[in-house]
Amino acid sequence: MDFIVQGLVKAFELLFNGDSETYSAISTTLRVSSGSMAASLVLGLPAGFALGHFHFPGKRYVRLIVDTLLALPTVFIGLLVYALICRKGPAGHMGLLFSIPGIGIGQSILALPIIIALSATAVESADRNLRVTLLSLGAGRHQILLTSLWEVRHGILAAALTAYGRVMTEVGISMMVGGNIKWQTRTITTAIALETGKGMFATGIALGLILLLIAFFVNGMVFFLRQK
Amino acid sequence: MEWFSFCAKNNTMQLYELKNIDHRYNNRTVLRIGQWQTRLHSIIGLAGPNGSGKSTMLRLLGFVERPWQGSIRFCGNTANGRYTTLRRQVALLPQASHLLKRSVYRNIAYGLAARKDVQHLTDRIHNVMQWVGLPPAAFAQRPWFALSGGEARRAALAARLVLRPQVLLLDEPTASVDEASNQLIKEAILKVHHEWKTTLVICSHDIQWLQDICNGVVYLFRGRIAGTNQPTLIFGPWKLRQDGRWAKKMTENQYFIAAAAAGHSREAVAAISSNNLTIKSKINTDNSKRCSLKGTLTRLNMNKATGRINARVTVGKNTFSVELTPEQVCTTEFYPGRRIWLEYNPEDVCWYE
Repeated sequence: MDFIVQGLVKAFELLFNGDSETYSAISTTLRVSSGSMAASLVLGLPAGFALGHFHFPGKRYVRLIVDTLLALPTVFIGLLVYALICRKGPAGHMGLLFSIPGIGIGQSILALPIIIALSATAVESADRNLRVTLLSLGAGRHQILLTSLWEVRHGILAAALTAYGRVMTEVGISMMVGGNIKWQTRTITTAIALETGKGMFATGIALGLILLLIAFFVNGMVFFLRQK
Repeated sequence: MEWFSFCAKNNTMQLYELKNIDHRYNNRTVLRIGQWQTRLHSIIGLAGPNGSGKSTMLRLLGFVERPWQGSIRFCGNTANGRYTTLRRQVALLPQASHLLKRSVYRNIAYGLAARKDVQHLTDRIHNVMQWVGLPPAAFAQRPWFALSGGEARRAALAARLVLRPQVLLLDEPTASVDEASNQLIKEAILKVHHEWKTTLVICSHDIQWLQDICNGVVYLFRGRIAGTNQPTLIFGPWKLRQDGRWAKKMTENQYFIAAAAAGHSREAVAAISSNNLTIKSKINTDNSKRCSLKGTLTRLNMNKATGRINARVTVGKNTFSVELTPEQVCTTEFYPGRRIWLEYNPEDVCWYE
């Protein structure tokens, strides 16, 4: 029990004493997760809108595939991306292995099905009369897309938060693709895994609490935006 | 816009011309119109029971949907390939008045912003808000969820009126609203009709309301146009008589007789137009071709557009609609509550499967 209390105390020490190693892990986590979230939102929102809004042959099968991809294990994504960007892989010449962009690619693959599936559900659950209303008011195609997404913004925010939570807390991709290199690709989660492996439970708990604090801060901002 | 300018200069020109329309959902025909046309600057009513195709027809006229088959001409030109342009000349108020999740002001501004027509925006929005009885000071910044059903309906109407459309298509504009909202909606649409010469196409269950404001009413049933005179619908089951005609029991000792038509079933629906029915104070025994039913005159309404009187006659559980001239009502002393005889020719009955 003592190590949990020690962990709490250590968390505050690491944060308030400005521990450079901890702040490096926090910075890497935020940079890589924000980058991968931006990429997955740019790709996932239009795809989710199309899946929820339009009717096309094979739509149910596409939905089935996207829903299945929600269960993608992070280590499997890590393995795939590793195979892709390692020296022998097709993208090996780009030097992405053990780099932040490399982790970002893997995390984007992780977040993309979540964004597509949840935003498609949000668009599907929008009032059926929304499209007719927008058409009758003279909206063009882009206006329909943007207004529909704005109308289901709470659902989209929930999708983004879910994906952000999954991306920020994953270990498999960061470990396999990033290599957990100190000052370079070490994220909070890979640092926790390392510290726990070394028997430094208090540091592990401290890093876990910092992760929770970041999640609380992000959710707090979203909570504030929803009230606007 | 050029089309409409040309159209507006030729008042005699047809605004809409529908030809051989066959519209389907999931391969099931929901609307079939051989030919239908309407003139510019008119007020047309579409009436009919649920599922008769009124809303579908409005969506086609609003260029929100394309017909599965057939052609729509607008101001003499085919609509094909011009749907986005044409959609901005007409405004459709759907049955479920969906408001966007934003303030009333921003809801009304949406259509203008979509057209990038934002000159004197606030003045125009406040103007139409006044027309529909939503004072801007009290309602402009109110969010969508803080409106009553009638207020939401009027805000949705204001969002269409502000576009100053050439054609305003209204789907059940007064459904589920109180008398005050009903009156405000009616006044607002008649104002735009008179001031801007906007053509109105209104669909409603409320035939009396339609007859009060429309130049003409088109009746639809089961996806087909049943005519411009109010039909009385008689639902099965039907019984085949020995003489080959079909009968439906109305009261203990009265049957509605209809001439046989090829291929219809016991559950078919018969329709008889109001101009094919006459009412008499005494039974007519001279004309053997005509059938008679004894009923009670329950209501007399004036159709403002035609100047004729619409009488409602109840026979058992069925209510028939009959057209009379004002002179007939005066000379024969027809008044609600009087027992009268309803006459018709069984050959005038139409059948719907």
